[in-house]
Amino acid sequence: MAAWEALAARRDTLRARKNALLTGAFGAVGLATVLLVFALVAIIAVNGAPTISWEFLTQPPREGMSAGGVGPMIFGSILLMLGAFVMATPLGVFGGVCLAEYGERSRLMRLMHASVAALAGTPPIVYGLFGLAIFVLKFHFGVSLLAGWCTLTLFCVPAIVLTTEAALKTVPAALIDGGLALGLSRWQTLWRIALPYALPGILTGVILSLGRAVGEATPVLFTASVYYSTAETKLGWETLRQPVANLPYYLAEGYRQPGVVPERFIWGACLTLIMLTLLLNAGAILIRSRMRRRYLW
Amino acid sequence: MVATMTTPKQKTAIETIDLSVAYNGKAALKGVSVAFPENAVTALIGPSGCGKSTLLRAMNRMNDRIPDVAISGRVLLNGQDIYDRRVNLTRLRREVGMVFQKPNPFPMSIFENVALGPRLHYGIRGRALQEVVEDALRKAALWDEVKDELHKSGLALSGGQQQRLCIARMLAVQPRILLMDEPCSALDPISTQKIEELIAELGTRYTVIVVTHNLQQAARISHYTGFLMFGELVEWGETTQIFERPARPETEAYIRGRFG
Repeated sequence: MAAWEALAARRDTLRARKNALLTGAFGAVGLATVLLVFALVAIIAVNGAPTISWEFLTQPPREGMSAGGVGPMIFGSILLMLGAFVMATPLGVFGGVCLAEYGERSRLMRLMHASVAALAGTPPIVYGLFGLAIFVLKFHFGVSLLAGWCTLTLFCVPAIVLTTEAALKTVPAALIDGGLALGLSRWQTLWRIALPYALPGILTGVILSLGRAVGEATPVLFTASVYYSTAETKLGWETLRQPVANLPYYLAEGYRQPGVVPERFIWGACLTLIMLTLLLNAGAILIRSRMRRRYLW
Repeated sequence: MVATMTTPKQKTAIETIDLSVAYNGKAALKGVSVAFPENAVTALIGPSGCGKSTLLRAMNRMNDRIPDVAISGRVLLNGQDIYDRRVNLTRLRREVGMVFQKPNPFPMSIFENVALGPRLHYGIRGRALQEVVEDALRKAALWDEVKDELHKSGLALSGGQQQRLCIARMLAVQPRILLMDEPCSALDPISTQKIEELIAELGTRYTVIVVTHNLQQAARISHYTGFLMFGELVEWGETTQIFERPARPETEAYIRGRFG
């Protein structure tokens, strides 16, 4: 007996040591990641915060962009995002439903899944150039809000398809069985039971992909952007055919031409863009937790 | 083929004729012919993998969902074969309800869980719908416990309450035949007792077919019992006869062994 204990004691010590080592290592890496992100946001916040004012957030640029604010850029970014949201959500959700419902059995659907996954990983500049070739030139939309919407929609759809598919696959088979055993059709089971169950996950995916889209400059670079916008944007049908200012493009161009836009404006716009995406992500988390509480706990 | 096992006194609610089911070429049910008497509780017993759940799921065509399943033979409901191509699955499942082993309430309120079926199938709304829901919850012996919190999530209930909610959900669709696949196996003894009492009660108004691996339960709640082994219906009869004077040695061995 004692011999067995001695054998085990040695291994116990080793195991405890290894455990402590790994816990420390993972903890350190995790902490480093968090600190890195935190430092990034903190640096931008410290540099950008002094610039943020009501005027900066709402007023158009003045005096050759050296004064005023970035109001039209914020407005343009939100406008671009809303359009993409309205167009990309139904397309993406429908695609995700198709893949989840028919994905396993059909070879065509497996091919589609692989294509969509590849599209989701395609660099945004490719979408920008595609949008330029198709929407701006071929369809004669010109560099316009409409062309920007279409391009951003294409950019968002693959991610929404994949998150929708993934969310639908988390629906327990027992729930589907329950719906079918009650005499519901496949469509009714999907619509009444599976989609509501998957809704928090789907919405999170939609919002995250929009958050990504709003921060990307390249999809709208050649399709929708205008750099210098002093006029207050007025909404109307003609807005669709006009280019819009937006934050990422303002940042890229503003930084490329030093001396025109004051540096503190760049920091301010940077912080504004980060706040916008953080707000979206916070919204996603809020929606998810509220729905979870309503449905599950 | 064996002659259909039936009981002459009783009217038949649903009947299988030479029913065979195979999954991936492996036979799970071999030529079972049995007539289930109307407005009575029938228990299906037998060792694990004997085909009792397969038989149950063949009667509302839930086996259809399994890939590579082969079904032959007939299942007669109201004189019609439910495997006929013209049969409407929705209509079949309205008439033949099912409760599963693990309670599976939908992720919605208690009210919505019960209201979903009647609303979609019969277009009932408003006050009438409330009455249907209340009636179903009363029949499932759940009303008194949930009447003040109908808006709460069905998942907030205890396991036993969830199972009764699933029974209420099934009853709200107005079925005639209730299929129950080991409805108590995931529940604690007190919840089990409540469900058993409920099944006995439902057996006076509905045709109840319950799969169970709990022999005491079968003896307590059922009027008729079928004993399955290796995909075949070995013996069928009144529960008292099966448990007290089994005709077949396999039945006797199983019951003796399990009773102990």
